[in-house]
Amino acid sequence: MASDASVVFGQTSLDRRFKERLFVALAVVALVLALIPLAAVFGYIFVNGIGSLLSIDFFLKDPPADLTAAGGGVRNALVGTFEMTGLATIIAVPVGLAVAVFAIEFGGGLARAARFLIDVLNGLPSIVVGIFVYASVVVTQGHFSGLAGALALAIVMLPVVTVSAEEILRLTPHPIAEGARALGLSRWRSILSVFMPIGLSGIVTGVLLGISRAIGETAPLLFTTLGNNFFTPDLNQPMQALPLLIYRDALNSAYQTARDRAFGAALLLVLIVFGLNLLGRWLTTRRRLAGSSR
Amino acid sequence: MFQTKRVTSREGAPSLGSFHRRRWTGDLTLRAGLAIVTLGISVVLAIMMVESFADASPVYEKFGILGFVTGTKWAPSFTIYGAWPFIYGTLLTSLIGLVIAVPISVLIALLLTELAPARLRAPFGIAVDLLAAVPSVVYGLWGLIVLVPAMRPFEQGVSATLGSVVPFLGPPTPGASYFAAGVILAIMIIPIISAVTREVFASTPRLQREAVLALGGTRWDVARTVTLPIGRAGLLAAVVLGLGRAVGETIAVTMVIGNSNNIGTSIFAPGFTLASVIANEFNEATETLHPEALIALGTVLLVLSVIVNAVAVAIRNRFTGGARSGF
Repeated sequence: MASDASVVFGQTSLDRRFKERLFVALAVVALVLALIPLAAVFGYIFVNGIGSLLSIDFFLKDPPADLTAAGGGVRNALVGTFEMTGLATIIAVPVGLAVAVFAIEFGGGLARAARFLIDVLNGLPSIVVGIFVYASVVVTQGHFSGLAGALALAIVMLPVVTVSAEEILRLTPHPIAEGARALGLSRWRSILSVFMPIGLSGIVTGVLLGISRAIGETAPLLFTTLGNNFFTPDLNQPMQALPLLIYRDALNSAYQTARDRAFGAALLLVLIVFGLNLLGRWLTTRRRLAGSSR
Repeated sequence: MFQTKRVTSREGAPSLGSFHRRRWTGDLTLRAGLAIVTLGISVVLAIMMVESFADASPVYEKFGILGFVTGTKWAPSFTIYGAWPFIYGTLLTSLIGLVIAVPISVLIALLLTELAPARLRAPFGIAVDLLAAVPSVVYGLWGLIVLVPAMRPFEQGVSATLGSVVPFLGPPTPGASYFAAGVILAIMIIPIISAVTREVFASTPRLQREAVLALGGTRWDVARTVTLPIGRAGLLAAVVLGLGRAVGETIAVTMVIGNSNNIGTSIFAPGFTLASVIANEFNEATETLHPEALIALGTVLLVLSVIVNAVAVAIRNRFTGGARSGF
């Protein structure tokens, strides 16, 4: 056998066995090389952040006015993050779904133009989105605001929601789509009563992924909502957000208090993002297991 | 099937006359509504882009597009703006990131498609999804506090030995540098590149792989003669996708690159990328034309990322006939 293979693959069998071993060894080394920093990131954030999260004050109090003072929490950032991400979701989800349905079901020049813009957005660095919103909203409004931040996050979410919804709509099994047509259902009825219910879990997964992408963004918030060291629930004011707070405290990490707060907020943000992703994944898996669609 | 039944029982069989009218108005309303939303968002996005370009136009008028892009000096207090130091920083850090990330990602993808038992694949998929989702400010925080200090001795060692021969590896070695930024970028894009590559490799025809094994080939022979040649285009698309992410990455890079307006002669020198100089200077931009110049850098970044993504799409379409919808 070995000699036959050598004829085919053109090497001596010893040489080939050595190369095989080298290949396996290199692959394992690569995996370990990749896992070390990743494990280091999590381990470090967890060890340094868990202390803050165990205190209820971390969620209920605002950071002290003096960065270097001990105590306080991240309430202002939590409220800002939830309000801005929430508003962004309310804006991005209907618009993203509308564009996806329009592009898949009707098509045409307008749909192609919109899809092109969505594709551009999808690959756009999020800091450029921040510039767009600064140039159009912040300059017009005359001041930074949570509203501008929410708009920037909505633009970040939009392509994620649209692309995943399109994929789900495209995946609707043919017999079901044809069945709906054969029953004489109009397009809007079949979209609302057939495609949407079948694709619902997939669409929800796309929305969750969009939220998880937006909630961790820092760059588009820098010159839209700016950040705020104090508490405000008012979307018309500059607002704090978890990523902005981590960024600011990281740059002041020479102070132990700022550093601790940064790690606490970072761990919290990572847990939120992981939770959203795992929830989305669970929904998709459940759909597959149920076997009602492919 | 279940869905079809439910719809049938609920709808019954409507009479044809009322049915047609309802169908017509319903469809028209839906179509018009969706068209308005789609048109609206397209117009809004287009206006935002045009407005940003318009805001940057005084800079382009003063220096010329070519003069701005190739200008090597960035001195806001003298109203001199050249984008080259940041374009250089963006390209160099992305290149360092790719050089580190691509071989590791390809090997990981091969390990998981050719070597590892199938039951390891699902956990890996979950882990990769999670890693790709970690916010960049978190990587930046870790990079600033752990990675930069840890790399300083390595950078000093290399510059003390190789640096005397190759100036590109020489001093200064403050820790925060193009190289540190490249390393953090590599850590961030490995999950993306390896996930896409693994999908590409996993879709290579099973029969061809088994044929090589049946001929007495080793698993390396499978990788060399089947997986890699067939997956080449997909691999290239994955690399370009990673490049796109690296080019636009902002906060993590800003936190570890050291912030310098000059073109560093060494990869261990501090610098700036397009995205990081915007993030760092925008809120304090008070000099003449300074905000406009930063917005102009944003338009350069916009063009750069559109080019990179267009290349990725072109590669994908060329090798899949445009049939697949995207990664």
